[in-house]
Amino acid sequence: MIKVTPDKLQPGMRLAKPVMNRAGMALLGEGTELTETWIARIQDMEMEGAIYVEGKLEMEVPMDEMLAALETRFQSAQGNPKMEMIKRAAEKHIRTLYE
Amino acid sequence: MSEVIESKVLRHRIENIGSLPTVPDTLRKLSRIMEKPNVSLTEVASFVQSDPALTFRILKMVNSAVYGFPGRIASVSHAIMLLGLNVVKGLLLGVSVFELMQKAMSGLYEHSMGCAAAARIIAQKKGLREPEEAYVAGLIHDIGKVVMALEFTKAYEGALALAETEHIAIMQAEKKFFADNHAALGGVLSEKWRFPKKLTEAILYHHQPRSAVLFPLETAIVHLADILTKARGLGFSGDQIVPIVDDAAFDRLELSEEDIIDVFRELEGSIEATQEVLQQ
Repeated sequence: MIKVTPDKLQPGMRLAKPVMNRAGMALLGEGTELTETWIARIQDMEMEGAIYVEGKLEMEVPMDEMLAALETRFQSAQGNPKMEMIKRAAEKHIRTLYE
Repeated sequence: MSEVIESKVLRHRIENIGSLPTVPDTLRKLSRIMEKPNVSLTEVASFVQSDPALTFRILKMVNSAVYGFPGRIASVSHAIMLLGLNVVKGLLLGVSVFELMQKAMSGLYEHSMGCAAAARIIAQKKGLREPEEAYVAGLIHDIGKVVMALEFTKAYEGALALAETEHIAIMQAEKKFFADNHAALGGVLSEKWRFPKKLTEAILYHHQPRSAVLFPLETAIVHLADILTKARGLGFSGDQIVPIVDDAAFDRLELSEEDIIDVFRELEGSIEATQEVLQQ
């Protein structure tokens, strides 16, 4: 899921979360494929916040760097089974961010 | 090395947070309201409404995707009705210490927001009735650091540098400079602001959860949330290393590796929503 501001919307993007108006009413449901018309309407709404569309976030830090930093943070926790489990979970999670 | 700052001096400073010149006006006023016994919903609501910037921020926060009801809360009193006075007090504190946290320690706010979100996710997983209370405890668990870094800047910088060069936890490094650590001072503040015992205990013992006698579960949640936030590398709390999790606290929560991955995954969505709130 990626968060974009209304001006960055492109036709063909699919909503990952419903678009709500200020009163909390869903205007466009999750999964809607955006057309130029929908985008123009969304842009006219002067919504606060952003729109969530499907897709992967572009990560600012390369994965190798992220994993190296993880190693460093856990250096004093070696040999502790609980900490190793937390580290494994963190590593698996970080990898999914780059898939 | 300079002398250790005495407990008496530290606590005196904390007691007088309502009149410290380094503390922004909004937080000083808020502090004075929160320490009143039996402060009413109306009093809090009218205080917030007298400050448009604060009103804007708090409504933005409760209406953000961080909460379950985006775009539906139009007034501060409505927010208090839905979330409860203690949660709104905590959120107000959270939004008013934002700049102060940025000033005190770069990255501390991101760490606190991350810990808050992680605490709520774990609380929901454990079926706690008020996961928002866990959120608030996470949000302000390091509030003691803010006061230390602002009021005793040199000493706190010393502690941060020591933690970095010696590869020790900031909690350990603080000992060389201060008679009380940030958790103890946070506990004092929480009491002063009349937060429920549940919150005070979670803040006070977030580094030593086995000392929590009344609310061991809530305390264990904040303890683990803090560690997971550090494990994920969100923000900066003064720790270069991830502190070792307490065995008993970890066992109490009965989380599997899959559960922890789940917490990380949900945390990711929450971070985005948080950034949205912070962008003014």
